[in-house]
Amino acid sequence: MEDNNKNSRRKFLDKGLKLGLATAIGGMAISKISKLSAKSNTGTGEFVELMTTDGTLIQVDSSEIVEVVHTTDPDKKYNVREGKPNRKYVMVIDLAKCKNALKCQTACNKHHYITGEHAWLKVYQMQEDEDTAPYWMPTTCMHCDHPACVTVCPVDATFKRRDGLVLIDNERCIGCRFCMAACPYSTRVFNWSEPNQGDMTMDMEMDMKAEGSCHSSPEFAGLPSVIGTVDKCDFCPHSIDKGELPHCVTACPNGVFYFGDKYEDTVTNGDETVRLSKLLRDKSGYRLMEGLGTKPSVYYLPPVNRLVDFEEGLEYFTEFKSVENPEKS
Amino acid sequence: MKNYDTLLNDLAPQKFGRKGVIWTTLLVVVSIAGIIAYIDQVIQGQVVTNMSDYALWGVYISNFVFFVATSFVSTITVAVLRLTKNAWRTPIVRIAEIISVAAIIMAGLTIMIDMGRPDRLLYLFIYGRMQSPIIWDVIIIPTFMAIALLLLYFPLLPDFALLKKHFKNTKPKLSKWYGLLSLNWTGSDAQKSIHIKSIHLISLLIIPAGFMLQTVDAWLFSTLFRVGWDSTNMGAYFISGAAVAGIGALITVLYVIRRSYNLENYITDFHFDKLGKFLALTCLIYLYFNINEYLIPEFTSKKEEITHLNVLVTGEYAPLFWFVIVGGLVIPIIVLFFKKGRSPLAIFWVSILVVLGSWWKRYLIVTPTLLHPFLPIQGVPEAWRHYFPSLHEWLITAATLAMCLLIITILVRYLPVIPIQRTADEQEQLKTGKNLES
Amino acid sequence: MKKTINYRFVFLIIISGFFLSINVQNLYAQETKKNTIRLKADYIKTMNKEIAFNLRASSKVDGSNIDVANIELTVFNEYNDDSVKLGSTITDSEGKSTFVVNDLNLIKPDSTGLYNILVSFKGNDAYKRASKSVTYKDATIEAKIITKDSVNYITATLKDTATDSVLSDQILNVQVQRLFRPLRIGPEFNSTDESGTIIVPIEEGIPGVDGMLTFEVVLKDNDDYGTVKAQVTAALGTPVVDESTFDERTMWSPRNKTPLFLLIVPNLITLGIWGIIIYLILNLVKIKKS
Repeated sequence: MEDNNKNSRRKFLDKGLKLGLATAIGGMAISKISKLSAKSNTGTGEFVELMTTDGTLIQVDSSEIVEVVHTTDPDKKYNVREGKPNRKYVMVIDLAKCKNALKCQTACNKHHYITGEHAWLKVYQMQEDEDTAPYWMPTTCMHCDHPACVTVCPVDATFKRRDGLVLIDNERCIGCRFCMAACPYSTRVFNWSEPNQGDMTMDMEMDMKAEGSCHSSPEFAGLPSVIGTVDKCDFCPHSIDKGELPHCVTACPNGVFYFGDKYEDTVTNGDETVRLSKLLRDKSGYRLMEGLGTKPSVYYLPPVNRLVDFEEGLEYFTEFKSVENPEKS
Repeated sequence: MKNYDTLLNDLAPQKFGRKGVIWTTLLVVVSIAGIIAYIDQVIQGQVVTNMSDYALWGVYISNFVFFVATSFVSTITVAVLRLTKNAWRTPIVRIAEIISVAAIIMAGLTIMIDMGRPDRLLYLFIYGRMQSPIIWDVIIIPTFMAIALLLLYFPLLPDFALLKKHFKNTKPKLSKWYGLLSLNWTGSDAQKSIHIKSIHLISLLIIPAGFMLQTVDAWLFSTLFRVGWDSTNMGAYFISGAAVAGIGALITVLYVIRRSYNLENYITDFHFDKLGKFLALTCLIYLYFNINEYLIPEFTSKKEEITHLNVLVTGEYAPLFWFVIVGGLVIPIIVLFFKKGRSPLAIFWVSILVVLGSWWKRYLIVTPTLLHPFLPIQGVPEAWRHYFPSLHEWLITAATLAMCLLIITILVRYLPVIPIQRTADEQEQLKTGKNLES
Repeated sequence: MKKTINYRFVFLIIISGFFLSINVQNLYAQETKKNTIRLKADYIKTMNKEIAFNLRASSKVDGSNIDVANIELTVFNEYNDDSVKLGSTITDSEGKSTFVVNDLNLIKPDSTGLYNILVSFKGNDAYKRASKSVTYKDATIEAKIITKDSVNYITATLKDTATDSVLSDQILNVQVQRLFRPLRIGPEFNSTDESGTIIVPIEEGIPGVDGMLTFEVVLKDNDDYGTVKAQVTAALGTPVVDESTFDERTMWSPRNKTPLFLLIVPNLITLGIWGIIIYLILNLVKIKKS
């Protein structure tokens, strides 16, 4: 009797183990398969005729074609942590023209796939004292020359490049948020939860391919955002490499943002191109919180001779919101 | 070896009675609850806390600072009292060392809870930058931990040897462990000379180590621009605050152990009296720094300073601020001025106030500053303008405190809470009038 | 026996049902409406370098303009009733593409000296076919730097290539090549005189890497000639001084460039203390052994 019991127990255990093993393997297989299918590039099936350099025509699937711009510097090979020499990116923000249209914020949010509740580019409603004038002040990361954030990072996840940009490597960041505590401009943002960029991964891949890279890099912040790490404005090096201005600069309908290379002494807002030194001298440019010694790369032009009243910007002012969240699926 | 029967009967570790078992079980339950909450945090991300991009450091960091501060106790009592030749310290040094070890271990664990990517912990060691104050912290905490452990272990050697003999017949397995840990201690002259020199060296070493630990902890805040943190006061402020927290914690634990193990003959009213005076002194020094920190800026009334001070003195954090200053410092000073205030029971309650005050003080150091940055808080949800820990944070914080107490409990269970050999030596010294040790 | 036949039969029915449903979907797909594409083509000629056509495809879908990405546009050169294909290109994510012809001789003019280019899109499932033609005459700008009385000038002459005659009263822009947009030098409007020439002084103090500046003289968006650009490079700028602290030992540099003080002192202190700790541990070993 005992033997029978033992045998039946053994058989039960045996079957149970086999079933469990099969389930486990099956489960793993299913998850691997679903990962694969999610990533697989669906070829469009459309073929394109291309002429090779020796004049022959070939057929290539259109999904495998990467757009390459011919007229800019072909030598893109530089260390992402180093940047190009003999350049120093600066931005000039003309507070006299800002009407709080928030097109800059929308463009930045869109192109960096920002899904949290905190935009990287914020337009502040500023008023130093009741007697002084209120004005709208867009702020980006200042890409300081004496960056407090870079100094305190324990693992070199945020770094300062030759060309002046301060970028974040979100594969290195340990999420201690010391840089966020250090930044006096409150410009950094933390991914407290899984950033719901899921729907946008396909678009992201297309954007990355357009840059010629197949993986995420500090030069394209937010693609993707990683949970438990810090993000911030990157001055769009991915656009700069294409010879294009950062998205906020092109999006602004009022020409508020000027961007350029300080060593070339030239900045442009897309329409006007001016000498930086002349602009700062004529319009009395200054930097935010100069006294802290951070040496920011963003200059402000004071809000004088404004074309539009401050109050008109109140229409778009959202005190508690800076990101239009995509529809939750 | 001499016959220390009475001493051993009084001081040898005993099995936990019912109260002890209930206490330990409670601590384990709280710890497990916290661990579950932490696992949830790792899965979902730190969104389970109430931290936001403005209140980016919350109760985890203030808890961490509290543990670092409490670990100062071995420096301030064991080493400082030793160098100032306060012989009465003998019964309390073991407990002080135990608290120090438990606190610094928990400090190391607690800071990992605050990391957004704990899976990248090793990056601190592989990619560490010496320019970062966090790396200074990463260096000094294990260093202090090693020294505190040595400070605990060295004086235990003769005691372990005694306990091995004591438990030889009643508990042979335990006796074997004590034997192993005693490292063949026989009390020979050769061993004693190494022993005495080593203890002297550790006591000297733990003083700069302890001071450096508190200072580096302070520099995590004073190397930043923020109002309330950017203070030249910070290093000394933290050191004196740590002395208060450490001694307060020591007295509390001392009283409980004295009651549980009936050690009134060893930890006498005299000891509490002395510790009470010491606590009053450290509280006075800390109060002095607090006046410099919170009252004097009112003189120049710089806008940013005043915003910060108003929030503490009359604003959202006022109740907490006044509890910390009055309850945690002023009342203890006043009570401890009187002889009756230094009686064991009175001083026990005063110390509890001091410890509570210390814990909430660190909360006041960390979060209010973050909630008034240089630029106005706009463009983020209204909830981000406030901070109060979430359930997850409370569970995890409680668990860290429970684990600290658990470590203390386990050490108290298996280690003699009063140095046996030293007490014996001192008793003999009193009898013969000879000066055995400096 | 009976059972197996049944299974096969059921299997066949299921498979055929599958194929039918897919085909029915295809039928429906072909009946959807196609949108119209609007093509834009801008012709830009850079002297001694290349001819570029900036192409843009957009479409009005549901009342709003969208960029049409990822479609193939073919460029033809039409002359003498012949259509020679020059090549094709795919629009990027913004519906734009630049088609470059390196050798100017590849494009042949017709008998009147006009260059006729046709950009066409052959249509796909979503969009109807479309095309756009660009017609232009070839113009030449010869630009050079001259120095008069120790002042540098840039001078340029505009000519019609076919007739080799100068073009006067045309507006030329003179600018310095910069990173994103060129910087204008001289007056906003420079009109070519009777000999088709303009002369513009070059201001001092324009910075350039190693002092090199690339000047451009541009005939912009001319109805007949399109956009023509001539480039001249000269070392007339002030050299750029790179003040980046990247190579220095600073508090914000990566760990391979820590300031010496921080490299030496904390490590000395740490090693010193740990040395003592190890000595103490060795003492424990000594105690055990004795």
